[in-house]
Amino acid sequence: MPDTNITVSRTHRAALIGCLIGLCVVAVAPFTLDIYLTNILIRTLLLAAVVMTVDILWGYTGILTFGQSAFFGIGAYACGLVFTHYGFGPGWAFAALAIALGVAAIVAAATGWLAFFHGSSPIYASIITLALPIVLTQVIYSGGSFTGSSSGLSGFPTYFWDLKVWFWIAGGFLVLTTTAGWLLVRSDFGRVLIAIRENEDRSAYLGIPVSRIKTILMVFAAMVASAAGFAYAAFSNVVAPELVGFQLGTELLIWTALGGRATLLGPVFAAIGIDTMSSWLSGAMPFLWKLLTGVGFVVVIVALPRGLAPLLTALWHRFWPKSNSMFTEVKITQAPASRMLRASFGDTPPLRIEHLSRRYGSLKVLSDVNLVGHGTELLGVIGPNGAGKTTLMRCISDGKERTDGSIHINNVEIGRCSPQRVVGLGVGRSFQNTSLFDTLTVAECLKLARYRLDGAKLFDRVDTVALPQPALDILKATGLDQKLSNETRNLSHGMKRGLELAMVLATEPSVLLLDEPTAGLTRPERMAIGEVLTRLTRDFGLCIILIEHDLDFVRAISNRVVVLHQGAILMEGTVEEVVASDLVKAVYAGHHEEEVA
Amino acid sequence: MGSVTFDVLTTAAILFVVSTGLMVILGVMKLLNFAHGAFLTTGGYVAYMAGLAGVSPWLSIPLASILGFLFGLVVERIVIRPLYQRPLDAILATWGLGIVISQVFALTFGRGVQFAPSPLSGTVDFLGVEYSAYRLAIAAIAILLAFALIGLLSLTRFGLNARAVIVNEDLARGLGIDSTKVRSLTFGLGAGLACAAGALITPLLSVDPNMGLPWLVNSFMLVLVSGVSFPSLLFASLVLGGTQVLVSTYVSPILGGMTIVVLAALILRLNPKGFSRA
Repeated sequence: MPDTNITVSRTHRAALIGCLIGLCVVAVAPFTLDIYLTNILIRTLLLAAVVMTVDILWGYTGILTFGQSAFFGIGAYACGLVFTHYGFGPGWAFAALAIALGVAAIVAAATGWLAFFHGSSPIYASIITLALPIVLTQVIYSGGSFTGSSSGLSGFPTYFWDLKVWFWIAGGFLVLTTTAGWLLVRSDFGRVLIAIRENEDRSAYLGIPVSRIKTILMVFAAMVASAAGFAYAAFSNVVAPELVGFQLGTELLIWTALGGRATLLGPVFAAIGIDTMSSWLSGAMPFLWKLLTGVGFVVVIVALPRGLAPLLTALWHRFWPKSNSMFTEVKITQAPASRMLRASFGDTPPLRIEHLSRRYGSLKVLSDVNLVGHGTELLGVIGPNGAGKTTLMRCISDGKERTDGSIHINNVEIGRCSPQRVVGLGVGRSFQNTSLFDTLTVAECLKLARYRLDGAKLFDRVDTVALPQPALDILKATGLDQKLSNETRNLSHGMKRGLELAMVLATEPSVLLLDEPTAGLTRPERMAIGEVLTRLTRDFGLCIILIEHDLDFVRAISNRVVVLHQGAILMEGTVEEVVASDLVKAVYAGHHEEEVA
Repeated sequence: MGSVTFDVLTTAAILFVVSTGLMVILGVMKLLNFAHGAFLTTGGYVAYMAGLAGVSPWLSIPLASILGFLFGLVVERIVIRPLYQRPLDAILATWGLGIVISQVFALTFGRGVQFAPSPLSGTVDFLGVEYSAYRLAIAAIAILLAFALIGLLSLTRFGLNARAVIVNEDLARGLGIDSTKVRSLTFGLGAGLACAAGALITPLLSVDPNMGLPWLVNSFMLVLVSGVSFPSLLFASLVLGGTQVLVSTYVSPILGGMTIVVLAALILRLNPKGFSRA
């Protein structure tokens, strides 16, 4: 126990040491630099803080944003407008800062609403972030003398403090925000962000509110950028539309890519290095310098997708071999499975499907499906390929999928809910193709599955993950409990399927949808999973809907079988009845037409 | 009133012509080409150079399309092909490429604005309205282009292969379609169309190293709203471009400048499929 305490606090200690070193450097630096360089660096340090937020959004969470400059500009304009038109003084400065943060947060929330919803493509979200600075620039142009239009505002009253003071403000701001960002991406919540980047769909089906997390992250990133912009305007005494524009926004992206995305410190140092250099060189050779950064950018994207930082860290590890302190040993504890038992209480069946249909244009995939799933029941769904089995699963787990009809989970109509809300109602779904998070460890995947129920620490990692009994059983049956700190991409196929099932069970569903859970597994693995499934229905009262081609497996474990054919329920009954039916034989053997005739 | 109607129609035509190159590349390669703006600029400079050299302005358009096609093939080979598996990185690489191209123009021609000669000058009396002859010509060219592209996709071998790649690339490869070649030709075609469009619109405006940028975002929006279909791109150009003209004329030109972006974003938010029939 004490051992894990030390490793957990190691992250915090590293952050504290890094933060203190950074602050010392910032405190001493202005005494050694000349005025020109100090001037440049103040702007650069503030922009570096914005780049840090771009790295969290893009590098870690996968939101390719071209619009972070918009928030920098909002902060700058809040300062310029208030000081120019309304008043100046400590009270006004605080009011202006509050406006800067508030407006940035509102604009970010609106952008998030536009860009992130279940089913939006990453490209669409990127275009929205690209449109944002363009629209804002137009707004500033249309502001006439109030916003100063294309020439901006300058000469407003501000605090003409010594350069050193501004340097300390900018540097302190960068060090503190970067420390917070560093802790954030190393926390449990940081793992959630990576999970969203790696496999957004799977995250949603684990009940992680992907769109809300992205929007909230965007709001906080916007506030950091806005504060930086505010400080920049107060220091430079000039605001211009270029601060809002998407040219700056893409420059932020370029620095992030060159520094190395998802390394946090890489982009920060790249921003400091490149922006300082361009201030020097762009005077001497303005177009050529931009051309060179453009070429460098393309080369890095094509040849070094992880940027320059990994090269440096690789060099570092050659001299100081990597210690494994990053991987904290995670312990698994048992969570009370009370939520899972709710299905067997009361008279209402956990799953009720009425008149469900799904059309793609004129193609009818499901038509008028009626189905009731009871607690403690394992319902097998069989049928030839293309019968609509997977579509049925999709309709149950995503409210937007079906064309018509209604679905009740635990007596709640799912309406048009997104997958993560349906998970909240008690549906767990495993996929036909194993879809996991490649770079996360087994324990991290399990923590992720518990996010909806247990949350995640923002700036810390916990070293335990509480799982309900059935999930523990799966882990034990597949031997995964010995491999908690392995990355999932290194697992065998059987273990991946086991982990996927354990993750779904960790969300404590009362209706479990399994799409060919044993495909590609060995016989002993199938037996183990079959036993767990039987126990799930018997001891925990789950309603399991199982798609399976292996009739022997279905026969061994299910109480009732539904045969789907061409989108409609052809037959329902016990396994024996169904297997004996001529109709079903005909469908599987492909003699359907003759049979009808 | 009459001239506003013509404004709507010709603006839609211009938007359509400018967006086709982008749509071809997005449709077949699933790649949003951020260098599209730079390709438009390239076409603009070809028109300018042709004007300097005394070449007929009409010839500058096919010339631009041929140069664009060849340039597109080279770019595809060097920059795009290594990034097939990383679509978001491909976006960034094309963006970087756009920066490089516009900087090369800035180094060669300077930051300033240049003008290209117009093939048709003055106005004609059309249906009782005095209207710019060249804008009307562009509208006619847009309609011809739409038919030509639909014909290319539905009547030729390349079109069949391209449609197969659009629908299911893996299967198409399994059937022996050389998808690498299809992608390469597609990028060339898209670049050629973009350059031709740049040469086409330059006489109306002017050319500078960043000329393509304002068009870039509008084309993105139109293509995202219309999905991969030329008829629906035409429809989207008409609806969004028309609204833009009306807002610019009756409300304010600055609001008009962001009409397409805002409207398209809202349409996509409310119906992610936009105008496409998929």
